[in-house]
Amino acid sequence: MARQTANREPVADADAAPAPRENREWQWSLGIGVVILALIGTVPLLGDQSVLSLWTFILMYCVLAQGWNFIGGFAGRAAFGNVAFFGIGAYTVSLLLLQNKPFWLGLTLAPIIAGLFAFLLGLPVLRLRGHYFAIATLGIAEALGEIVQAKNIGAPAGEISLTPPDLNFKVSNALFFYGFLVLSLLTLLGTTWLTRTRFGYALVAIRENEQAAESLGIATYWYKVSAFVFSAVPTAIAGGLFAYWQLSFDPVGEGGAFDVTISVAMILMTFAGGAGTIVGPILGAIIIEYLDQYTSIAFPTFHGPLLGLLIILVTIFLPQGLVRLIQELQRNPAGVKQSYPMRVKQGVRRVTRFILSNGI
Amino acid sequence: MAQYVVDWILLGCFYAAIGLGFSLIWGIMNIVNLAQGSLVILGAYVAYWSYTLLHLNPFLGILVAMVVVFCIGYAIQYVIINRVIRAPILVTFMLTFGLDLLISNVLQAVFTGGYRAINTPYSGAAVNVLGAHIPLLNVAVAAIAVALTALLSLFLSRTRLGNAILAVGMDREASQLMGIGIANTYALTFGIGAALAGAAGGMLAMTLQFSPIFTGQYTLFAFVIVALGGLGTPWAALAGGMIFAFAEVFGPLLPGVGFGLDTAIAFAVLVLVLILRPNGLLGKPFYS
Repeated sequence: MARQTANREPVADADAAPAPRENREWQWSLGIGVVILALIGTVPLLGDQSVLSLWTFILMYCVLAQGWNFIGGFAGRAAFGNVAFFGIGAYTVSLLLLQNKPFWLGLTLAPIIAGLFAFLLGLPVLRLRGHYFAIATLGIAEALGEIVQAKNIGAPAGEISLTPPDLNFKVSNALFFYGFLVLSLLTLLGTTWLTRTRFGYALVAIRENEQAAESLGIATYWYKVSAFVFSAVPTAIAGGLFAYWQLSFDPVGEGGAFDVTISVAMILMTFAGGAGTIVGPILGAIIIEYLDQYTSIAFPTFHGPLLGLLIILVTIFLPQGLVRLIQELQRNPAGVKQSYPMRVKQGVRRVTRFILSNGI
Repeated sequence: MAQYVVDWILLGCFYAAIGLGFSLIWGIMNIVNLAQGSLVILGAYVAYWSYTLLHLNPFLGILVAMVVVFCIGYAIQYVIINRVIRAPILVTFMLTFGLDLLISNVLQAVFTGGYRAINTPYSGAAVNVLGAHIPLLNVAVAAIAVALTALLSLFLSRTRLGNAILAVGMDREASQLMGIGIANTYALTFGIGAALAGAAGGMLAMTLQFSPIFTGQYTLFAFVIVALGGLGTPWAALAGGMIFAFAEVFGPLLPGVGFGLDTAIAFAVLVLVLILRPNGLLGKPFYS
């Protein structure tokens, strides 16, 4: 009884709830997402390598955040260790490259291995609830990094160093950029498809109320496991691309392939943009990663504290995400025609109430 | 062998101190406080500076650390966490992770990442019993940890304020109707949890080395300890600490494990327990 009270989701009063989805909404979201990605696609034309590197990172996080969105945004599970799939992808590709196997083979095997791992891991951990699931996934990611480091996988202390691809570095950087772009686009299409299918509806039902979903005949456990595998696949491919793009990286610590900060970044970006929405993760990835890179260059000493502050501000003021705020701002609950300033005024009031709805 | 047993018991009591505050905050407010490790290290710095600069007795330093970290914890809950207390758990999870990042990075920027420890003239004092080397300072620390566990247990069951905290944990709305101020009670709960972390930090500074890079590790340990013991009572944290210390001390002796896998051992134990006994080994689902 007490547990239920403490665990209960925030009770949003009827008119603070997001507007019911209109049929055309997904087309708008997909269109906006494609336009954003197409605009990003023109970045290599600028010819500036540091700008290109920044936007390659942003695209990588677009993929990671969208991947997390499957398990965290749609199925609503507090997965905190998705960086494990990223690391598995990175190490699969690296280990095969170190044995002079072709890159495409690693890139094909990475999602398969990570998917299998997610399946086998999901079987026990997806039975856990709430915080326990979060910590179990977090722990598995940390433990994997530690094992790679302690058992010297790939290289002493797991510190991988690869030979660069046999190409002009400008060409190869552009190729990696477009690789991440295509992957972002595919993940975007996957997300859109998810919002239109039975599978996606089932995941949302599980997020909203697992018991109710179960009682409607949804095999919640297997849907959760599938969502976990779904989120592992793009994450592992991104890890593989990351490995060959960066050439050298550590298993743990800042910039490492199993660095928990990457998990946190995925979640933060998805939350900032809007968990469970189509364009939310992309928006979040662009904003947060841009800010992050900007502060790490402009204020290197304060980078860590600023990131912490950013997380705090986003979770306090934007827990529902930008997309939901925009929806809330645009919503016209009365259904009557209002003058433009009136709509803005009411919209701002709704948004303020929406933001404050979580406090005591 | 006697040496391992001594190490195990002393480490177990220290771990109980690490888990105590974490278990209170989690049990009452359903918040997994990922900033717990930062609060521990913060307490360690307070104790360290009050010894180095003010030349206070390190045992008094523990008390100073508790007071300072209590105030910080109270403010964190009152100003920040109370604003999102009703949000889904992932939100508080992220929020406390952000706090952890903020505190540990500020500590690192101010005090650098170097290792520190309180070195008193009597730091090395020890007795030998049955061939086991027993450091006396660690014994004192273990005694304080057990005393804190007992005090917390008494505080929750015997005082008006403790009962109010338990009531809020049981049913927020009902206790509000009974005239308990929720915001203040939550802030006090977090403050007490933080103060216990500060005490653990003071003990850490006296017995081991510390540095801001350890924050994540102690948060993790706190979680494992609490998950092992369960959320039932402060004594469950002590039990969890003992079990976890057992795994940490005796785990590396197993063939094929070896040293350097602390985190991996912690999680292996954790995942096993979670699968077999989701409420912890001694746990009841609620703090009471």
